[in-house]
Amino acid sequence: MIEFQHVFKSYGRGRNILADLTFQVAAGEFVFVAGPSGAGKSTLLKMIAGLEPPSRGSIQVNGQRLDKLSARARPYLRRAVGVILQDTHLLYDRSAMQNVLLPLAVTGLEPKVAHARARAALEKVGLSAKEDLSPIELSGGEQQRLAIARAIVNRPAILIADEPTANLDRENARRILSVFKDFNRVGVTTLIASHDEALMAEHASRTFRIEPGHFFDQHAKRGVH
Amino acid sequence: MKSLLRQHRYAMAVSLRRLLSQPFSSLANILVIALALSLPLIGASLLTSVQPVAREVSVTPELTLFLSTEAPSNAARDIANRILKEHGDQAQAVRVIGRDQALSSLRENPAWEQALRVLPSNPLPDAIVVTIADGDDLAVRAEALAKVWRKWPSVDLVQLDSAWVQRLEALLRFARIGLFLLAISVALVVLATVFNTVRMQALTQREEIAVARLVGATESFVRRPFLYLGAITCSVASLLSLGIGWLAMIPLNQALHSLARSYEAEFALRLPPMPWLWIGLVAVAALGALSARWSVTRNTKF
Repeated sequence: MIEFQHVFKSYGRGRNILADLTFQVAAGEFVFVAGPSGAGKSTLLKMIAGLEPPSRGSIQVNGQRLDKLSARARPYLRRAVGVILQDTHLLYDRSAMQNVLLPLAVTGLEPKVAHARARAALEKVGLSAKEDLSPIELSGGEQQRLAIARAIVNRPAILIADEPTANLDRENARRILSVFKDFNRVGVTTLIASHDEALMAEHASRTFRIEPGHFFDQHAKRGVH
Repeated sequence: MKSLLRQHRYAMAVSLRRLLSQPFSSLANILVIALALSLPLIGASLLTSVQPVAREVSVTPELTLFLSTEAPSNAARDIANRILKEHGDQAQAVRVIGRDQALSSLRENPAWEQALRVLPSNPLPDAIVVTIADGDDLAVRAEALAKVWRKWPSVDLVQLDSAWVQRLEALLRFARIGLFLLAISVALVVLATVFNTVRMQALTQREEIAVARLVGATESFVRRPFLYLGAITCSVASLLSLGIGWLAMIPLNQALHSLARSYEAEFALRLPPMPWLWIGLVAVAALGALSARWSVTRNTKF
C-alpha cells in the first residue's frame, strides 16, 4: 500500500530532515507516527499524500510511484488518500455539509448521491445534527471530526492525519481516535502523526518514531538509521 | 460526460455565488467594462449606418467637360473623339450631351419648366461626360485627366462629379482603422479589468483553492469557476453596453433627423446587425474567460 525506498528529504541546502527512510505499510494497517515537534512527522505524511516531493529515493502509494506520477495524475491519487492536516483548513464561509460536499463536487458525483454520502460521513463522526452550522460554530473537537468527515467522504484507501488530537482534551482526543479506529476496522490504511505518548500507549499499534537523524519502526523493533 | 457537465454546473454556481457575494464590486466591474465596450459599439453603429450611403452612390468618378457657349457646334463631338484617341485607355465611356438635349431634359422637370420658359435663349453649354476606367488610384487619375482637359480649347469647365464619394470612402477607411484601434484598446481594458478582478478573487479564495487541491481537485476544476466569472462578467457587460448603445442612438438620431431633413434625405443611426452583435458578445465573453484563465494560472501558484 505504502512503500518508502531510501527516501531523503531536505529543504534547500539544509541538512536532511528525513534521511534514508525505508519501510512498507500494508493495506489495512494502523500506524502512529511519533516524535517531537520539528522531527519531520508532518513532512512524512505530506510526502505520502503527494503534497511534498522527496529530495531522493522513491515512494509508492496505492500502487503508484509518486516520482513517476504526472502533474495531471496527482489529483487522482489525492482522491485515494484522505488527508487531515494540523490546521483543519475548513471553509468558514460554508456550512458543515458544504465542507463535506466539496471532495464529492471535485469528482462530479450526482448531487443526490453526494448529499447522501456527505450525510453518512457526518453521521459517522457524530455531526449529523450540525450539518447546517458553519465550522466557526463548532467546538475544536467537532471541527476535527468535520475535517475527518471531509477526508473520508470520498472513501479513500488511505487516511492520514497530522496531530488530529492536538489542542483537544483527553475525552475529545479519545473520541477522535476511536473514529479513526472505526475506519481502520473497515480496511482503511491509517497513519496518524501525534506527540501524545499517553494516547498512543492506549492503542497498541505499529509506531514510526522519528527523532532528529533517526527513524525507528517500533512494530518491527528495528532501528533503520 | 455527465460528471463533466455536473462539474461545469458546479463551477457556474460557484462563480455566480462569488459575483453575488460582492454585489457592488461586481457591478462596478461590469459597469467599467460596459462603458468601455459601448464606445466601439457606437462607433460601429455609425460606420454601419454610413456605409450603405456611400455604397448607394457610384464611386466610379465621372468627369464632366462643359464647353464654352461660344464653342462651334461640332466641338463637343471633336473633343469626345480626341478623348477616345488620346486617353482611350483611361476612359470607360464617353457620352456627348448636346445643349438642346440638356435643355429638353431640364424642361421635363416641372420645377425648371417655368424658369426656362422666360429665358430668351438656351443658356446651357454642350457637355461631355467621361466615365473613368476602373482601377487603382481612380481619384488621382481623374484629377490628372481633368488638369489636362481644362487646357483644351473650347473647354470652359471640368467637373469631377464623384469626388465627395471618394472622400467619404477615404474617411470611412480612416474611421474603420480608428475603430479597429479603439476596439484593441477596449479589449485591453477588458483584459486588465477581468485580470485584476480574478486576481483579487483568487487571493480571497486562496483557502478554498488549497482545500480543493488537497481533496483531489484538478487544475481545470480550480480554474473553471474563475473562467465562468470572467465570461459571465463580460457577457453581462456586453448586454449592458448594448443597452447603453441603444439609449445613445435616441438623442443622436433626433439630432441627425433634423439635419438629414434639411437635405431632404432620410438617415438614421442603427446598431450593427444582430448576427454581428452575437459574434461580438461571444468574442467578449471568450476574451473574459481567456483573461481570467491567464490571471488564475498566474495567481494560484501556491
